[in-house]
Amino acid sequence: MTEACFDDSPQATELLAKTWQSPPGFFGWFTHVNQRKIGLRFIVTSLIFFALAGVLALLMRLQLSQPEINLISPDLYNELFTMHGLTMMFFFAIPAMEGLGIYLVPLMLGTRDMAFPRLNAFGYYVYLIAGIVLYISLFVGAAPGVGWFSYVPLADDFFTPGKGPSVWTTMITFIELSALTAAVELIVTILRQRAPGMSLNRMPLFVWAILVMSFMIVFAMPAVIVGSVLLYLDRTFQTLFFVPGGGGDPLLWQHLFWFFGHPEVYIILVPALGVVSTIITTFTGRQVFGYTALVLSLVAIGFVSFGLWVHHMFTTGLPQLGLSFFTAASAMVAIPSGIQIFCWIASLWGRQIRFAMPMLFILGFFAIFVIGGLTGVMVASVPFDTQVHDTYFVVAHFHYVLIGGAVLPFFAALYYWYPKVVGRLMSERVGRWSFALIFIGINLTFFPMHQLGLEGMPRRVYTYLNDMGWGDYNFFITFSAFLLAFGFFLTFYNAVVSYRTGDPAGSNPWNADTLEWATDSPPANYNHRHIPVVSSRSPMWDVARTGERPVVGGLRADRREILLTTVLDAEPQAAQVMPSPSPWPFFLAVAVAFGFVGVMYIPLLFVWAFFVSFLMIVGWLWPRRPWQKE
Amino acid sequence: MEKGARPDPGPNISVVVDVREFSRFPLRRVAPIWWGIIGLIIIEMMVVLTFTASYFYLQMRADEWLPPELPLPDVIIPSFSLGILLVSCVTMYLAGRAIDRNQVKRFVVYTLASVLLACMVLLLRWQKFGELRFRWDEHVYGSLVWTLSGFHFVHVVSAAIGTFVIAIAGMVGYLNKQRQIGVIVDTMYWNFVALAWIPFYFVLYWVPRLI
Repeated sequence: MTEACFDDSPQATELLAKTWQSPPGFFGWFTHVNQRKIGLRFIVTSLIFFALAGVLALLMRLQLSQPEINLISPDLYNELFTMHGLTMMFFFAIPAMEGLGIYLVPLMLGTRDMAFPRLNAFGYYVYLIAGIVLYISLFVGAAPGVGWFSYVPLADDFFTPGKGPSVWTTMITFIELSALTAAVELIVTILRQRAPGMSLNRMPLFVWAILVMSFMIVFAMPAVIVGSVLLYLDRTFQTLFFVPGGGGDPLLWQHLFWFFGHPEVYIILVPALGVVSTIITTFTGRQVFGYTALVLSLVAIGFVSFGLWVHHMFTTGLPQLGLSFFTAASAMVAIPSGIQIFCWIASLWGRQIRFAMPMLFILGFFAIFVIGGLTGVMVASVPFDTQVHDTYFVVAHFHYVLIGGAVLPFFAALYYWYPKVVGRLMSERVGRWSFALIFIGINLTFFPMHQLGLEGMPRRVYTYLNDMGWGDYNFFITFSAFLLAFGFFLTFYNAVVSYRTGDPAGSNPWNADTLEWATDSPPANYNHRHIPVVSSRSPMWDVARTGERPVVGGLRADRREILLTTVLDAEPQAAQVMPSPSPWPFFLAVAVAFGFVGVMYIPLLFVWAFFVSFLMIVGWLWPRRPWQKE
Repeated sequence: MEKGARPDPGPNISVVVDVREFSRFPLRRVAPIWWGIIGLIIIEMMVVLTFTASYFYLQMRADEWLPPELPLPDVIIPSFSLGILLVSCVTMYLAGRAIDRNQVKRFVVYTLASVLLACMVLLLRWQKFGELRFRWDEHVYGSLVWTLSGFHFVHVVSAAIGTFVIAIAGMVGYLNKQRQIGVIVDTMYWNFVALAWIPFYFVLYWVPRLI
């Protein structure tokens, strides 16, 4: 091959690093567009919200630790559980998984940035502003207190005057913007920017999971946007969509919300499944068993999850036939989930498993998630669900599913990719303590809730009578919750301390097989020095075996260029010049935020924000001279 | 091949793909932005679908749909404005063809013509708002009519302004055959906005007649 298109000299490397550099300084921070910067921001911010929501949960547990105490007023308690659910779902789980995707997917695909870097930055600012506004509302007493699903008629302005549900509708719509931009961006990046040779059937399972998650976001989130717009109109302009007296129907809200809300659960779960497959591959040192079955299961879960939403509405008096259909669909989702579990068991079977921290969290995921799945099969049956609906049994069920299905894999991912991001390993000793406390804490906290639920303790009550005999359980649960929180805290502590004192990681500390480990730790500005060419599902192991590293030559170093490849077979097709750092995404996010916050007080601000946002978009997209020539 | 430039030269690097001669101006389906706009359109189609489904959900659960004191909605003017909207898709197509042939003046004329057609549609719609004999807070039928019409009205406004900006980009000489991806994706969005009116037109003006 020609040598002229290939320049590995230190000068060329330096030029490339300079081209892809993010501007330094405080004001520079608002212009960053590189996908690793944005992805890391998503992850760190989501962890802060995770901690905040955890504190809210502890406050609730203190109030419930004994019967009939008045530590927290009923209204504040309502706000706390609403904010806890909202934060965990919208401000922790989704952005955390997206953050992982944004940080890792381009590295795994062997490209230098995502398809729309500025849109990426915009999505982050939207997320950040929405979160800050939501928490300000908590401190000024305007937080929503109507549950994380904001059911009407409770959320109508007649029953809940004030700003609470309006904060809910506007901030939900606002943050969905962030999720949707990230989803579109991830889809386009995955379909068009894979390294040459990485056909769809060679794509890492984590990338498959992120792809499925992104498609689910695209199809599910518009429903809740429509729902919240209609609720906003009901509250602000007295339209009658959910008001029975005017011909509206409160059940429409439940349909719109859960058409999004159920896929939402799987939007959180599916990337976690990708993490599980990735880590199992690495820590058994062998390709995961049943790659095709695993991919098909991911896709199947994505499809089936759209047919489940009514199982949140079993007690709303819907026709019997409909309920039977949704019971069957709910049971059906066990099939692809089961296939995955069996594939993983087969992958682990007979291998020498390295029990490093990421693998421990994955084993924890198995135990906790399977228990949550079993109670899930129980509540999928209508008669049983009718019995335990709105009790602590459901609380126990979904905490097992969500902590097992999302939080534990996410923490596994933290331990697994931390050395790539930081360049140092996290402490195994602190990690083991953390894991032990978390695993024990989950079970001690949430398992007794099953019993409380069967004994009839309802959800969302700020206290309970002494005569009910629930005091001992609740005291025990509160105690365990602090244990669990301390377990999580240890990992936070570990991450902070290891940033300075951890052992240097090297580029591939776990001897993993995917391309993100081909970069430096932390990766250089340009991610991959040369775009790799791939010929199997385990490119890193190929390099180790053959000692050959085939790469792409001819991308320019003096401007931001990436390679575009075809959708199915990833054959090189064209190059694209990427946009440079820019403050416009930040300006646009601020303008849109003014619009969203403003309409809560002055509806006509919508018109103003519409035109200002439009100006910002023009500023963002307007071509700068000199115009690109070649 | 230069070796030793990096501290650890690692495995033997060989260049197997040379992309120096590749186009830096990917167009149509090769361009990532084409896929991005498809994503935007799918999201908005889901929004349109959800609005339409909500309409039918509420309509099917109502005893009587159109409040008895109201006349049947007029279909003549709305059909006329739908026609204008569809014609504007043709002018947008012609604009795209012009820029693909480097005919910038013709391109500007066709885009401005499209914007003008959109403005005519907006005028007709605005007049319709004035003629409505009910408000959005009287019955859910009224809420739906106002919300669906308003939702689409805002979309036509944004498509029109966006296309006007594209026309200006053409006037200052930025656009040509190579740099036409902006026109391509703007046209895609324009077509979506025009076609999205069809389900709304149907539920707003025909469903009350047919039921």
